[in-house]
Amino acid sequence: MKVEQERAELLAALHAAGAASEEDEKELEALLAADPSLVEVVKDFQDSIAALASSFDPLETPSKTLAKIQTRIAKEKGGILSRLRLWFSRS
Amino acid sequence: MTEARPISPEELVAAMAGGDSGRALSAFYAQYASTVLALLTKMLGSPAEAEELLQEVFVELWRRAPQFDSSRGSVIAWVVTVARSRALDTLRARKRRHGDRQFQYQEGDALMTERKRPDVMASSTRWHQALRQAFQRLDAEQRAVLELSYFQGMSHGQIADTLKLPVGTVKSRILAGMRSLRTMLPIIHRAMKA
Repeated sequence: MKVEQERAELLAALHAAGAASEEDEKELEALLAADPSLVEVVKDFQDSIAALASSFDPLETPSKTLAKIQTRIAKEKGGILSRLRLWFSRS
Repeated sequence: MTEARPISPEELVAAMAGGDSGRALSAFYAQYASTVLALLTKMLGSPAEAEELLQEVFVELWRRAPQFDSSRGSVIAWVVTVARSRALDTLRARKRRHGDRQFQYQEGDALMTERKRPDVMASSTRWHQALRQAFQRLDAEQRAVLELSYFQGMSHGQIADTLKLPVGTVKSRILAGMRSLRTMLPIIHRAMKA
């Protein structure tokens, strides 16, 4: 059991660090399915690396970026709604 | 009269998943955009490319909001995972355009090195300083493998080739580095509350 936990910890570390191979990922998924408590190990490592990734000094964002994002999303939403309307009109 | 309770990151993501691209998205953007931009700039080394990618990242976060599962990780972990993944896509596309030159790792290339930029926000707080101080305590060998894996997107095999080390050594250093980072979590949480 201890060997399995150590293996799971290694795989979780590789996963969180972005260094896991496809086989490592599959093995980790299987271990998580067998023992859901291992999710906490993965979460702790992910939170740790996320803290590392968010430790850089924050930068001022360009003033119009949010508006551009919202415009793109509105277009996507419009696209989805018009496809739904077309689908309902045909059914 | 009740005081308005601050909305948690999870609630913002849930509202976005429900289609709120107005107030919820704006609040979510206000909370994470400057951090995402800093990460993208560090990974890409190009402020212009980073600013362009910032849009893509937030559109993708909005699209993926319905799949966010808080039982599998925190909102900040999800946000940086999506941002990192998009930055790596951009780095790979750049590599395809300019050829796959052998990457030479030099300590200090890396992303822990802070260069002051004029647009660094005044709100760079004790939290960022505490984090950086904590990360500087990482062993140089551990920092090198984490930088290559996380910020350059290299697999353990590629890191082994780059650093001319056995794969087993690379894996052990990644595990040791991740364990060290994990021990810093209480310090990080204290800094967040300060």
